[in-house]
Amino acid sequence: MNLKEWIKTLTFYEILLGMKATMSHLLHYKPITLQYPHEKRALPSNYRGMLALLRYDDGTEKCVGCDLCEAACPSRVIRVVSSEVPGEPTKRYSKEYYMDMTRCLFCGLCVKACPVDALGMTQEYEWAVYDKRQLHLNKQQLLAIGDRNFPVREKRLEFQHPNVAYFNVGFKDIPQKEA
Amino acid sequence: MDTGIRLALTLGQIGAVMVAVLLTVALLTLLERKVLGWMQDRMGPMEVGPYGILQPVADGLKLFFKEDIIPAGANKFMFSLAPVLSLVPALIGFAVIPFGPDWTVDVGGVNFKPFVITDINIGILYILAFASIGAYGIILGGWSSNSKYSLLGGLRSAAQLISYELNVGLSIVGVLLLSSSLSLVTITNAQGGGFWNWYFFAWGSFPQAIAFVVFIISSVAETNRTPFDLPEAESELVAGFFTEYSGMRFAFFFLAEYGNMILVSCVATVLFFGGWHAPFEFLQGPESLHWLTGMFWFTFKVYGFLFLFFWLRATLPRLRYDQLMRFGWKVLLPIALGNIVVTAIVEYIFP
Ligand code: SF4
Ligand code: SF4
Repeated sequence: MNLKEWIKTLTFYEILLGMKATMSHLLHYKPITLQYPHEKRALPSNYRGMLALLRYDDGTEKCVGCDLCEAACPSRVIRVVSSEVPGEPTKRYSKEYYMDMTRCLFCGLCVKACPVDALGMTQEYEWAVYDKRQLHLNKQQLLAIGDRNFPVREKRLEFQHPNVAYFNVGFKDIPQKEA
Repeated sequence: MDTGIRLALTLGQIGAVMVAVLLTVALLTLLERKVLGWMQDRMGPMEVGPYGILQPVADGLKLFFKEDIIPAGANKFMFSLAPVLSLVPALIGFAVIPFGPDWTVDVGGVNFKPFVITDINIGILYILAFASIGAYGIILGGWSSNSKYSLLGGLRSAAQLISYELNVGLSIVGVLLLSSSLSLVTITNAQGGGFWNWYFFAWGSFPQAIAFVVFIISSVAETNRTPFDLPEAESELVAGFFTEYSGMRFAFFFLAEYGNMILVSCVATVLFFGGWHAPFEFLQGPESLHWLTGMFWFTFKVYGFLFLFFWLRATLPRLRYDQLMRFGWKVLLPIALGNIVVTAIVEYIFP
């Protein structure tokens, strides 16, 4: 060590520098924390929150019971029971639709997989419950979440994927299995 | 009759000092978290009461109503004794600290010193002796818990306290040489008249500034505070020697830690910064007001040192164990010894 370093060590120069830094934070006190239950942060518009089932403008459910979301989900959250619309043999719908939100990792793959855009992600995140069975949601609950988060159901063509009809196209941007 | 009056007066004094110390501890728990928060761009406790000022009350109630657990396989007697053994030495040291001017009041034929509980002529030695007993509480607490984390914390603290006790003891020898007394009252009285008479500056003799630095570093180590908090090391040892403690027993250790902090701040104030003396004579006010200004300056300096403790905690990371030992034995000890030699020589040549 040369003389300069010796002097620095002897006078605790580095420690004093650190103490100056903490002191300057105290003097220019500007907290970066939010008092969470009282203040909430603004979420980005692409925030991936609670999942919801959506409806068309006329109130009919969008879901056609195709099971693709179930196939796409990596955590096996979704369970779809598909069936014919009574009296209309060409149309199908999901008779039952369950989501076990305790397992969901909010990846959004189910939303991408859906060919008719029947699933959506809302900005809700305060879903802590005392009983985890309350997180096992059925179709009515999921539709209710959709209704309260998307009161306007206009189609926004500019957001529509051009190839939605060809189901797997939506997966192009995620890693595919090697052929 | 005289004995009765003396007893009543002393008990009153002890009560007053205890209440003051415990209130300070309660205040410190809040202040520490607030100051740490502010230094780290956080807010600290904000929920209980306006700006969180009632947090100590909530913490106290919580600790009071918590279940008191004695772990299976623990040595019950030692386990219960350890918190007391560490709390009592932390509080007992305040008996010899002079909080204000060295007055003697005559109450019903009894000579009574209102600002010091008892002025024994080996005051500083008494404080050091009891500080060492406090180490037993920590070691026994760690050993009797029947948990390896507690044991490791206790062992660490044993080694640390032995190493740094020595430095505390040696660093104050310079002050004792200058004042030629072990009584804290005499030491304080010798420092009146202005800040240049404080032993930190020691005008006309050898300044004890280096000894003060050694003393402060060693007392941070002795009170187990960051950056020397290896005995509790939250991130490695869960909570060190009091891992297994809960409820009021935990609160005892907590009180002991903060009590020790206040005690070493008081000792630093008395030994190096003139105790209750103001930095300038005119700030002390008229003779009849010395008790008020004296108490004010004493409290002011003590809180300054406590702030220094918080400040260090917000700044520094924890030392590694070998660094701690090397620093204590190879750096601080020679400095303290050198300080004694130089002070003695200077004091001999310019008495
Ligand atoms: S967000 Fe991901 S994990 Fe959650 S349901 Fe959809 S696909 Fe499954
Ligand atoms: S992918 Fe869409 S349409 Fe198909 S079952 Fe899932 S939600 Fe219904």
